Amino acid sequence: MPGDPSGLRSAWRAVVAFRGSLSRRTEVMLAVLAFALLLGLWLAVVSSGSVKPQYLPSPAAILGAYHSLFTRFEFTHDIYISVQRVAIAFGIAAAMAIPIGILMSSFRVVGAMSEPVIDLIRYLPVPALVPLTVIWLGIGEVSKVALLWMGTFFQLVLLIADDAKRVPHEYVEIAYTLGAKSRQVLRWIILPSMLPSMVDNLRITLGWCWSYVILAEIVAANDGIGHVIWASRRFGKTPEVIAGVLAIGIIGLASDQLIRFVHRRAFRYLR
Amino acid sequence: MTGEAPFLHFDRLSKSFRRNPRDPEIQVIDDVSLIVEENDFVIFVGPSGCGKTTLMRIAAGLEHATGGRVVLEGEVVSGPDRRKGVVFQSYSSFPWLTVIENAEFGLKFRDDVPRREKRDIARHYLDLVGLGGFESFYVNHISGGMRQRLAIARTLCADPDVLFMDEPFGALDAQNREFLQVQLLEIREKERKTIVFVTHDAEEAIFLGERIFVFSARPATIIEEITVADHLEGERTLELKDTEAFFHLRNHLLELTRAQARRTEEIVSGGGEWRR
Repeated sequence: MPGDPSGLRSAWRAVVAFRGSLSRRTEVMLAVLAFALLLGLWLAVVSSGSVKPQYLPSPAAILGAYHSLFTRFEFTHDIYISVQRVAIAFGIAAAMAIPIGILMSSFRVVGAMSEPVIDLIRYLPVPALVPLTVIWLGIGEVSKVALLWMGTFFQLVLLIADDAKRVPHEYVEIAYTLGAKSRQVLRWIILPSMLPSMVDNLRITLGWCWSYVILAEIVAANDGIGHVIWASRRFGKTPEVIAGVLAIGIIGLASDQLIRFVHRRAFRYLR
Repeated sequence: MTGEAPFLHFDRLSKSFRRNPRDPEIQVIDDVSLIVEENDFVIFVGPSGCGKTTLMRIAAGLEHATGGRVVLEGEVVSGPDRRKGVVFQSYSSFPWLTVIENAEFGLKFRDDVPRREKRDIARHYLDLVGLGGFESFYVNHISGGMRQRLAIARTLCADPDVLFMDEPFGALDAQNREFLQVQLLEIREKERKTIVFVTHDAEEAIFLGERIFVFSARPATIIEEITVADHLEGERTLELKDTEAFFHLRNHLLELTRAQARRTEEIVSGGGEWRR
């Protein structure tokens, strides 16, 4: 009942319940609320005049920056280039990591040989690899894709191997007692059973790939979102810098939500 | 093959293992021999961790013995295949498949059945276990008892020679367990399968089994073999559980297993004599 204080109180209790659950609609409303609060805080700081515009421009200035980026500086092309780099590098990394990861968990000999090596490479920080990729591969597209690939493949392959390992052994044994051969166990048990957690891990590593593409583009590139951010900084155009950074956030959020949506649709049986 | 060869022969089976290369050897099964006849309903009962499940798993081809062998219809068991069906306590059916797809999975690797008949056979066994009408449900959306019935239906679809069941009703509540016990007896009446059933529940053992092998604490040895028909008469209905004969037999079995369970506790906590 609207206006009923006890109804409001119980609604409030439901929202703040420890380990409680909320309806999808409430969750979306709360997410919008969080963005609105952030925007409000931003507007308040800017209009108070306590921070100079070259440090923190107003939201309106950011919108203006987007307008000039899209109309005068072909920002669409930069976005396209960055998305393309991520897509190629991540595509190659995933296409390699999925079969190799499954092999690593299926055959101990492959796992025992590759795990220590991959673990070593995995802990090399990607920024430290930038000089090496430039020495080896120059400053062209190949060098950038290679950097992104190194940043994602070695992480992803271990995650995939783990997904395959976590398939309950009972499923495998049941399949054998129904007459399946190893190859059929792989096709009909391991793959479908590990698929949901694999898609989750692909989603997470795709996010990492996005942070590495900016790194690669800041170091040496004539296009891409990272290049736009770095070039704008050189001319002191803070609104453009923030616009570039926000663009990555928006693209990242969109791709993440898309994969989540596909996950929910494809794996209804989990709920 | 000679006519006198036993159907399923556990022939002087032993099993031991080491957790680590430098640890002492742990003996799980010690020289166990027994024979299961065709269409037998045999129960392995004993305290938890006594090795009865390992014994069953060796016969199903899922583990290797370190001594002795298992012979099924004149052939030494060397690995799992379609002749030896297994129903586990948990993870017994595949969550990414619907009920009908789970049942059909039992027929997936059968070349002796034409493809168009597979769905009909799957439906037949789903009806048999009382899951008709639930074909399109996912495993996560049916109850624990239904999942175990589904596992039985799927295993029957593969038409195994022996059905191994490893505490299949162990995770269910008491009412559901009783219901599934009755249903399993009905299914067996219709299907005439040889069943090896592992449990630690004395009542379940007597209610279901024709012959009960009682195992000692680890390492597993047979301490008594009970032919249930020698003690109980009449049909296997739930009323049987209230009879005096059933009560006596249950108490006898409980005494045996309790003593062994105490020994298991001593072995596990005191680092007992098996460490020698």
